[in-house]
Amino acid sequence: MAIEFGTPEWARALEQAINASSEFRNAGSKWGVGFNGTLLFAFEADAALAQGRYLLLRLAGGSCRSAEFAPGPAHSDAGFALRAPFALWRDILAGKTLAATAILTGKLRVDGDKIALLKHAGAHRALIHCVASLDTQFPGA
Amino acid sequence: MDRLYRTLQGSIEGVVSTPDQFHAGQSTNFGNLHQWTPRFVVEPRSASDVATVVRFAREQGLHVSTRGAAHSQGRIALSNGGILLSMGSMRGVLGVDPAGLTADVEAGMIWRDLVRHLGRWNLVPRVLTNNLGVTVGGTLSMAGVGVASFKYGTQGDNVRELDVVTGKGELKTCDRERNADLFWGSLAGLGQVGIITRARLDLRRAKRMTRTYYLLYDDLRRFLEDARSAMNGDTWDHLESWASPCPQGTKPVAGKRQVFAKWFYPFHLTVEFDPGSPPDDAKLLRGLAPYDNLYVDDVPTIDFLERMIPIFDLWKRGGTWEHIHAWVETILPWETAADAIESVLSELPPAILVGGHVLLWPAKGKTSRSPLFMRPPGEDLVGFGVLPAIPPRYWEQARPMLDNLSRMTTLMGGKRYLSGHIDFTPEEWSEHFGDQWEPFRALKQRYDPDGILNPGFIPLGADPGSAERR
Repeated sequence: MAIEFGTPEWARALEQAINASSEFRNAGSKWGVGFNGTLLFAFEADAALAQGRYLLLRLAGGSCRSAEFAPGPAHSDAGFALRAPFALWRDILAGKTLAATAILTGKLRVDGDKIALLKHAGAHRALIHCVASLDTQFPGA
Repeated sequence: MDRLYRTLQGSIEGVVSTPDQFHAGQSTNFGNLHQWTPRFVVEPRSASDVATVVRFAREQGLHVSTRGAAHSQGRIALSNGGILLSMGSMRGVLGVDPAGLTADVEAGMIWRDLVRHLGRWNLVPRVLTNNLGVTVGGTLSMAGVGVASFKYGTQGDNVRELDVVTGKGELKTCDRERNADLFWGSLAGLGQVGIITRARLDLRRAKRMTRTYYLLYDDLRRFLEDARSAMNGDTWDHLESWASPCPQGTKPVAGKRQVFAKWFYPFHLTVEFDPGSPPDDAKLLRGLAPYDNLYVDDVPTIDFLERMIPIFDLWKRGGTWEHIHAWVETILPWETAADAIESVLSELPPAILVGGHVLLWPAKGKTSRSPLFMRPPGEDLVGFGVLPAIPPRYWEQARPMLDNLSRMTTLMGGKRYLSGHIDFTPEEWSEHFGDQWEPFRALKQRYDPDGILNPGFIPLGADPGSAERR
């Protein structure tokens, strides 16, 4: 049964999916080791999303310690933030746009060390796959 | 018959062909990515022919593009409705000065033919590209890097003098003092300010034999340290390396299982020697720490220089020579090289390298004086080339990965080598040339004010279009 995007239930389901993913466990084994790997995904409001959503993932060593929606577009715990309109995120989750391409062309904006992020592209691709794999009720869908 | 055919053919000694006459291969290059059909293919006999063609084109409002062996992969060595000068018709050795260590050659000279011609004197060009089946004019227009570049710079750094036909149709001789701006603007100048018709090349004396040590590394950073050490001594004559995948099975990538590999780093270190005076292996290899020392190969120097020919023959027999070649070669700063290479290799499916390979070449930035050969600042550099052969049906799938590879290595301070798959935006071109961009544009304006030379690749001139202008 689809879980509504942006809810605590959805965040918990994502945390479980990440921790069940051998792809993320391997590809993300060095993410957040020796640096702050907490990621803030900013799903910015657009025609399909009335109000922005800000997903905070505490990640280190191939596991997700917590997933929650933050109240605003910034969070003091975040080592990196990735920001894009919701429509672009949907394209990324649908596999129509590579996240790496979106980052490298500036469509997906990064707060933090962009190169550090790109060095771990496999980890982030695995994360995106975890999100895309959740049975989700997205706004406007 | 094209209305301009008789006039053009009547004005030169060379041969003019129209689309119904020339080979379809003239409409693409090694990349097999772009298809442009020229209005005329001209095989010039002389520099005078080249100058006549340029003046004719200028009068008639046509573009002129130049083509050597067409080993490039971008929109270059092609013409979309203009005149394509096929320089392979000018492939003579004009003279060799064994005492002065120079050779004068026409621009369409194939490097392999020159190497064989010089064999009688035990002379060789100081730098040779891995692929010897390319032309002198072609590689000088790109820069020309090879396994001796860490000692001698680019092929362009080893040119004494050039004859160049400018975009105004003037034949000029240039060197480091005389018409120096044209000289440096022609080397690594992508044929934008003039067409090289003759080059006087620096040569060196070669020893008759080479010994190559086939070392293997299982750790990139260890390899890079040894590569730097090998460059810094005066021990080695040639350094060549790769990244080679050892498939391990499959793993999920975005949920789909794909083959993944452990990467190894073969490092081939070569010294030349005279028969009867073999090198001291232990002394040469002291201080290097490979994972394995696989093989030691003694071959005549000429065979070493031609070592890639059997590989290319293999690729040709396998059918991959006809695939799309979208090579991404980048010169990286030493500081970011390991991170950049590891990041790329971790994402690279080994199967993409069927009919291709991943090159690594340690380099010294200060061995080059060529202002248009863009490389990162710093003394120690690492060349990194992903050279795939892609079946056309997989191109759309592979392209985003290769484009991201280019963007990522550029973001990490790298400079692309321009013979490969280049699809820069105007902003990326400007960024690539950095502080040389405006001087390059000024040179273009000075020597090719109508923007007729080699359009469609780099947006230097007033007319970035590719089609016939009239």
